[in-house]
Amino acid sequence: MVEPTNQTMPHAAPLLEELEAGTPSFSALVQKLTQLLGKDGILYDADELLVYECDGYIVDKTAPDIVVFPSSTEQVSATVKLCNQFNVPFLARGAGTSLSGGCLPIGGGVMIVLTKMKKILEINLRDRYAIVEPGMVNLHLTNALKGTGYHYAPDPSSQGSCTIGGNIATNSGGPHTLKYGVTTNHVLGLEAVMPDGTIIELGGPTAEVPGYDMHGLYVGNEGTFGICTKATVRLTRDPESLRTMLAVFQTIADATKSISAMIAAGIIPAALEMMDQGIIQAVEEAFHFGFPLDAGAVLLIEVDGLEIALDEEVRQILEICHACNVRDIQSANTPEERLLIWKSRKQAFGAIGRLSPSYCTQDGVVPRTRLPEILEFIEETSQRFGLRIVNVFHAGDGNVHPILLFDERDQKQIQTVLEASEAILEKCLELGGSVTGEHGIGVEKINFMSRIFNKTDLATMETVRNLFNPRQICSRDKVLPQHQTDEKSTITQSHPTRRAPH
Amino acid sequence: MSPTHSGSLEEFIPASQTELSRYITENAATSQKQLFPVGGRTSLSVCCPSSQSGIQICTSQLNRVIDYPIHDMTITVEAGLRLDELNEMISAQGQRLPIDVPQSNRATVGGVIATNTCGPKRFSYGTIRDYVIGISAIDGTGNLFKSGGRVVKNVAGYDLAKMLVGSLGTLAVISQVTLNLRPIPESMSMVWFAFDSCQTVERALAALITSGTRPTAIEYCNSKAARQIAAESRFELPSEHHVICICYEGPENVVKWQANKIIEEWNLFSPLSSQIVELEHATRLYNAFTEYQTSSDDPVTLKAVVLPSQMMKFVDAATKLNIAIQAHAADGIVFGHLPDSASSLEDVKQLLSQLKKEIDPKTGHLTIYQCESEWAALLPLFCAPPPGWDLMKQLKNSLDPGQLLNAQRFTDLVET
Repeated sequence: MVEPTNQTMPHAAPLLEELEAGTPSFSALVQKLTQLLGKDGILYDADELLVYECDGYIVDKTAPDIVVFPSSTEQVSATVKLCNQFNVPFLARGAGTSLSGGCLPIGGGVMIVLTKMKKILEINLRDRYAIVEPGMVNLHLTNALKGTGYHYAPDPSSQGSCTIGGNIATNSGGPHTLKYGVTTNHVLGLEAVMPDGTIIELGGPTAEVPGYDMHGLYVGNEGTFGICTKATVRLTRDPESLRTMLAVFQTIADATKSISAMIAAGIIPAALEMMDQGIIQAVEEAFHFGFPLDAGAVLLIEVDGLEIALDEEVRQILEICHACNVRDIQSANTPEERLLIWKSRKQAFGAIGRLSPSYCTQDGVVPRTRLPEILEFIEETSQRFGLRIVNVFHAGDGNVHPILLFDERDQKQIQTVLEASEAILEKCLELGGSVTGEHGIGVEKINFMSRIFNKTDLATMETVRNLFNPRQICSRDKVLPQHQTDEKSTITQSHPTRRAPH
Repeated sequence: MSPTHSGSLEEFIPASQTELSRYITENAATSQKQLFPVGGRTSLSVCCPSSQSGIQICTSQLNRVIDYPIHDMTITVEAGLRLDELNEMISAQGQRLPIDVPQSNRATVGGVIATNTCGPKRFSYGTIRDYVIGISAIDGTGNLFKSGGRVVKNVAGYDLAKMLVGSLGTLAVISQVTLNLRPIPESMSMVWFAFDSCQTVERALAALITSGTRPTAIEYCNSKAARQIAAESRFELPSEHHVICICYEGPENVVKWQANKIIEEWNLFSPLSSQIVELEHATRLYNAFTEYQTSSDDPVTLKAVVLPSQMMKFVDAATKLNIAIQAHAADGIVFGHLPDSASSLEDVKQLLSQLKKEIDPKTGHLTIYQCESEWAALLPLFCAPPPGWDLMKQLKNSLDPGQLLNAQRFTDLVET
């Protein structure tokens, strides 16, 4: 029989220390970390730490006291053990592209940056997996696979800079989620350093392992279960061919109806992105693609698969779009034309930059048939608050990204943006959805957790977190709201500002 | 296999999640009896050894459909809903849960998750872990908790559904589930090939990784299994050789094109024979592959999970031991029905120890999938501790501190 754990132990743990530069314990920790990682592997000058005070979510800023750059699992483990010895908080950071404050070092402490651990350790096409270090940039893996007929499927929009370790922490999505799934569907196993410094392995390169799906539980932990130091990921066969279309609709309702009809007809597009009138006008103002300014919505539709299948799929899509009152539909006949269509989607955010000094992107999800309702609500919210809000998002998944435009120099506008964001996310919940489809809870949406989950749900999640991270020494105060009895300092949102949209 | 219990088992049939939660809370506080969550009882022989005493929590009345927004292609159901009932309802809308489940007239949604059941299609569609987008369950102390939600994309909170996949009723009683559904493809065909040796099969399988076709399932069977599958499907298969069946799904012309294409590609490996199987013949053959993993009357069925590239080496060794083998070949998942000659527990242990030598413990796992009920308590289901076993033990203790949920089964999973 296994012994029951002492459930009360975590709460009895001593509070974490706050490091202060110049104190004997700070100097001792710096010295030990320097011994471990060399002078090139550590930063602790206040000026140099500024870069690490926030990630893609720049609303809240806190600099770590020390930043380290380990280059092996053993170094990560030794660093973590030192943090335990000195009783200081620590957290991992990849490229720092989190949009929800996943890398915010609450309470300071040591930030463990994994960008030196970026090797591909193995590519095995026969068994369809790759083993990579966590600091590997997402796109670099797919680039390394070029010519093999395989790729790594999860492709967040930040894939040129975000890391696989970070993707695992946040269970990242991307435009191809609809057909290919999110990160958790592609992670077979991992190695991780536990918050006490021990090294564990979960899952593995085989299709499954007996017992509980622990690596599945690990993915999406937002850095609170420890530090992933190695990932075994599934490789996906490249599609033989693809077709890209741009469909202009009079109304959002027509565009949404066409999405549901396509999926009901058994067509699962590789990408299905929507732009609303606001963003169409912004794109037009900036780049003059020739979109009609009075169009209610534009859909970017891409299907992929065997060449022999695609013409028929395109024919069906055209038929569905026509049945849904499409005004105009263009198909890309050459790679150049395809690039041009994608350019309108990808440059949408560049266009926003010309419209407004700052913007704030939300990440709500609704059942895809409720898209007209949420978009209507967003429009009403825009009018009610006197804020310009535009939309460009992953329509196939019902994952909206309303972009709230404002001027961060105006405190009043900042407050308005916060209130409008909250109203939109509340509405997503009311429509049966979620407040985050791919960006994560982080610190940004932590207040929503107790509205989505009841006390028992949160207590069970906490029980599971405590299994890995009982003292919250690793990435503290993320994902789960604190107990009301907890006296630790709380992070409150101060002001929203420009955030890299997904 | 119908279990005959030497232990004493009572039954509790909750009518709602809250009633179940109350019952488990009371049990934890007072009588502290062992609880065995059961759905369709299709995996009972291994999950609930005959010597056990306690209470079976039967989910047969937790079988309601809570919400089916058809156009969102998601469905929320209680965990005791039987697969056939689910399939009937969603197939009427042109939708399906692309998980192959044997004995689907009995098997329940909760049971599929707890046993992580899957079949041939797992190669292209994944397993149940990829379709559960929301879950509710009741832990050993009676806490009714949930995670996820009802939308297809959602990262709010930890993904607690994952830990319940493969949990064999030892962590929590799964009570309600939201599933992501997929459209039913227009048509399906299979192509079988007969080969003379394991080596040729391996060469052909290795070539599939760059095939111009996109198979949805790749099934292997040795001659002994081929005879049984042929008998079951009433479809003739070569019975003296190694057989590979490749499945294609999609629009009819695309399926046809691929079936012909693979025959052309595999000419290179000089198959002894090959044939395209269509329409109801294909369905029958496919169903026989789905059912085969549980269809045996043989005393023990094992399941090995190995790297696909190592699979034929294992198959070769198992075939020489007169084991009937079926494999989801592109995933390295092998089911083996031990021969009748393995008539004592000692024989079985002997065979298992021989097979264990064929598996690299770093990248392979041998488990007991089904067995005679009276042997279940005496055989560790996992022949070696899986990665993360220590954490699994701690997780079990956290969610079931009183060790009330099928606790002996969990302790006995690994030989100590």
